Amino acid sequence: MSVTYFELSARNAKRQARDYLVYFATVVLAAALLCAFNGLLLSGEVQTLSKSMNMMPLMLGMASAVVVCVFGWLVSYATGFMLSRRSRELGTYLLIGLENKQVARLFFLENLAVGGCALALGLVLGDVLYQALRAILLALFGIPYQFTLALSLPAVALTAVYFALIYLFALGRSRRRIRKMNIHGLIYFEKQNQGAVIRSGKGRRWVFAASVVLAAAGTVLLMSGSGELGLTGAGCVIVGLYGFFISFASGVPAFFDRRPARKYKGVNLLVFRTLTAKLATMGVLMATISMIFTATLMAEGTGLVLRGLFMGRMSEKACFDLYIGMGEPERDRSVYLDYIEAHIPVEEDVFYQVYNSPDDQFMAYLKETNNYYSFYEQDPILRWSDYAALRSIAGYPPVELGEGQYLIHCISALEKDARGYTRPISLGGITLEPGGVHTEHLLQSGVTGQGHGYILVVPDRAAEGLSVHHLAYAAKTAEPVPYEDFYNLTVLMDQVWENTGRADQINTEASEKDELASQTALTVFPLFYLALALTMTAAAILTIQQLSESERYRRQFALLQKLGMDRRDMARALGRQFVLYYALPAVPPVLIGVPFILNLAKVPEPGVMVGLRSPAAITAFSLALFFLVYGLYILMAYTSLRRNVLPQDR
Amino acid sequence: MLHVQNIEKYYGTKNNVTKALDRVSFTVEDGEFLAIMGASGSGKTTLLNCISTIDTVSAGDILLDGVSVSNLPAAELARFRRERLGFVFQDFNLLDTLTIEENIGLALTLGHGDAGAVQGRVREVAGKLGITDILGKFPYQVSGGQKQRAACARAMVAGQSLLLADEPTGALDSRASKNLLEIMTEMNRSMGATILMVTHDAYSASYAKRVLFLKDGRVFNEILRGNRGRSVFYHEILDVLAALGGDVSDVL
Repeated sequence: MSVTYFELSARNAKRQARDYLVYFATVVLAAALLCAFNGLLLSGEVQTLSKSMNMMPLMLGMASAVVVCVFGWLVSYATGFMLSRRSRELGTYLLIGLENKQVARLFFLENLAVGGCALALGLVLGDVLYQALRAILLALFGIPYQFTLALSLPAVALTAVYFALIYLFALGRSRRRIRKMNIHGLIYFEKQNQGAVIRSGKGRRWVFAASVVLAAAGTVLLMSGSGELGLTGAGCVIVGLYGFFISFASGVPAFFDRRPARKYKGVNLLVFRTLTAKLATMGVLMATISMIFTATLMAEGTGLVLRGLFMGRMSEKACFDLYIGMGEPERDRSVYLDYIEAHIPVEEDVFYQVYNSPDDQFMAYLKETNNYYSFYEQDPILRWSDYAALRSIAGYPPVELGEGQYLIHCISALEKDARGYTRPISLGGITLEPGGVHTEHLLQSGVTGQGHGYILVVPDRAAEGLSVHHLAYAAKTAEPVPYEDFYNLTVLMDQVWENTGRADQINTEASEKDELASQTALTVFPLFYLALALTMTAAAILTIQQLSESERYRRQFALLQKLGMDRRDMARALGRQFVLYYALPAVPPVLIGVPFILNLAKVPEPGVMVGLRSPAAITAFSLALFFLVYGLYILMAYTSLRRNVLPQDR
Repeated sequence: MLHVQNIEKYYGTKNNVTKALDRVSFTVEDGEFLAIMGASGSGKTTLLNCISTIDTVSAGDILLDGVSVSNLPAAELARFRRERLGFVFQDFNLLDTLTIEENIGLALTLGHGDAGAVQGRVREVAGKLGITDILGKFPYQVSGGQKQRAACARAMVAGQSLLLADEPTGALDSRASKNLLEIMTEMNRSMGATILMVTHDAYSASYAKRVLFLKDGRVFNEILRGNRGRSVFYHEILDVLAALGGDVSDVL
C-alpha cells in the first residue's frame, strides 16, 4: 500500500508541475531569489566592502521577511486553488475508500515533493543569481570580480527554513480543509463558486464612481510630501482600488446593455462577457494584484530615484581627488595641509579663495527666471587663475577667457538661464561682459564649494579687494585617497569644529564613490528585491487563474467554430480578452505610479536629476522594468492559451 | 436541399482502419423533418459531423443547395456554417457567461451583420418560441427546456436553411422533451425550417416525417410517416429498431 501511495503522490506531483508550469517556474525563481539574497545577507565579503555595509544584513533581512510573506501568499493561494480544481479527483479517492487524513497526506506529500524539487532547482539557480548580484555589488565598489562557486551552507539552510515555513503554512490550511470535507463537498466543490456570477445594481455603479474619485484623490495625497497625508493617500488608493475592481464587473454590462449596437458589434460581446464573468469572481483578487503592482512600480521608481539622487550628488562631489572647503576666511590652513604633505602624495594642487561680489545681480536674475535659492547673499566669485588650476586638477580641457569678459560656471540645470544672461558685471571699477558658460562638475553644492549651483569667473585683477567668502583646497593625487586618510582628515575637521565652531567640508572621490555604492546597495537592492518578488507573485497568480480557464475557453471556441466563427475572429476575441485581462490590473498602477515617480524625481535639488536621471527617464525605466517581468508572464500565458484553446481548422 | 452522395468515412491508421460510414446516400427536401436513428456506434454522429462540415468525408460528396461542402476551402467553411446551418446540441451548448438574449444574438454577430438590428431580430424569434420573458437571464437561471428552446432560436435566428439537431432531447425530462419536439414540429410546419435530427430515441423520431436507420455505417432502412398518426409511426419505428437488433433500451 505504502509504495502505491507514494507512487501516486509522485505521479500527481509530476502532473502538477506540468499543469501549473508557470507556478512551478515562479516557485523555483522564488527559491533562487531567496537563496541569492540570503547569500548576500550572510556573506562576510559583502560586509567588508565598506563600513556602512554592516547595515546590509538588516536591510536585506527586513526585505526577506516581506518577500517570505508574499511568496507564502502565492503558495497558499496556488495550493488552495489547485485543491478546488482537483476536488473531484480527491473526492474520488474518498469514494474508493481512502480516509480523509490519507487524502490530506497524499495532497501534502505531492505538494511537498513539488516544493522540494523547486527548492533544489532554486538553490542551483540561486547560486548563479548570487554570483550575478555579487558581481554587480563588487562593480559598484569598483572591485574586480572573481568567480567562486561557493554558496554558503548557512544561506542554503536559511532558504530551506523559509521554504519550510511557506509550505507548512500553505499545506496546513489545505490539510484542515480536506479533513473537514466530505465526499459530496469535494465532488461538488467546483460548483460552490458558481451561482450568482453576474450581479448588477445602481449601488455598485456609485461605488465605481466613488472609487475612481478616491483613488485619484489618494494619488494626489501620496505626492503631497507629508507623512500623514501620504499615509492617508495610500489608504485612499487601497480602498479606491478594491472599490473599483469589485464594482467594475457590474459597470461594464450596464454600459453595454444601454448600447446594444455596440454590444453586438464584432467580438465585443464575447470579450466583455468573458472578462466581466471572470472579474465578478475575482474582483478582490484583482484589486490585491493591482495594489501589489502599484507598490512594485513605486518601489522600482523610488529605487531608481534614490540611485539617481546618489549618483547625481556623487558626480558633483567627486570631481576632485581631494577637496577641502574651509568655512572661515582668516585661519591657519596648515591643519590640513601638514597632514596632506606628510601622508598623501599630491601631483597638482591649488589653495584659493572664493570671493563675494559686491552685489547679487546674477542671483536675483536666477531667482526671477528659475526657482533658485542659495546660502550665499552675494554672487560668488572665482579668480581666473584658480579656475584654470581647478579645471586642470579635475581633468577638464582648458578654456579661454577673453579680455574684459567673465565666465559663468554652473550646474547643468542652470545652463539655459546662464546662457540667457547677457548683462555685464562691474567689479572694482572694471566692467566685464559675458564670455561663456561651462557646466562640468565643479563641486558647486553646500556652503564651502564653488558657489551654490553657479560661480562667476573673473580676471584676477578684477577680484582684488573683494571680500573672501571661504577658503578652499583642491588636489589631484597620485593614488585615490585611501579611506584611512579620509577618516584622519575628518577627525581633524571635527577638531576644527570643536575649537572654532566653523564647519568645513572634505570630499574625496574615493569616499564619495564608496558612499554611492553603499547607499545603492542598502536601498536599491532591497527595493528591487521586493519589487521583483511582488511582480512575480502577482503575475503568477493572474496566469494561474487565466490558464485554469483553458478548458472552458477551449469548449467555448469549439462551439463557436461549429457556429461558424472565423478563426481570425476567434484569435481576435481571445487576444482582446487576454490583453484586457492583463491590462486591467496594470492600468491603475500606471495611473497612480507614474505621477508619483515623476513627482518624487523632482524633489531633489536642481541639477541632480538630469539626463538619464531625469524624472521622465526614471519613470520610463521603472515602467520598462515592471513590464519586462510582467511581459514574460503574459507571453508564457498567451503562448500556452493560444495553443490549447483555439481549435484547428478541419 | 441536401444531397448526400455515396459518402464514406474511415478512421484510424494504415494498419487499423475503422469504417464509420459506408456508401451512405440520401436526400433531404426543402422543409422536410428527417430523423436519423441507429444504435451507439452506428455512425449517426459521424454523419452529422460530415454534413455540418466539422469533419471531412473520405469519399463521396455532400451538396447543400447545390454547393459541395466537401470541397469548400477552410475560410469559406466558417461562413457556410454560420449562414446555412443551425445547430441544436444535446447539452444545449449555451455560453454560461452570456444572457439568453446574447446567446441567441451571438449567431448574428458572428457574421459581422448590422449590430443595431440584432436585438430586434432576437426578440422576434424569441417571441415565436415563447422565451421572451427569459431573455435577460443567464443559462444557469433557466430550465433545461428553456435552454433548448434558446438553442433552437440561436439555430434559426440568422435565417439558416438547415437545422441540425444532435440528440436534442437527450438531457431533458419527458415533459420538456415533448414541449421541445412540438416546437420543432411547429418550426418545421409554420416557419418552413428544414430539420435533420439525429436521435436514438424512438419517441423523438416519431415527430419526424421520415426516419432513416443506420447500422454499422450503412443506411439500413427508411420509413415515411405519410398520413399516419404519430403513435402508429412510433410503433413502426420500434419494429424497425427491433429488426435492427439495437439495444433493448433503445426499443423499450
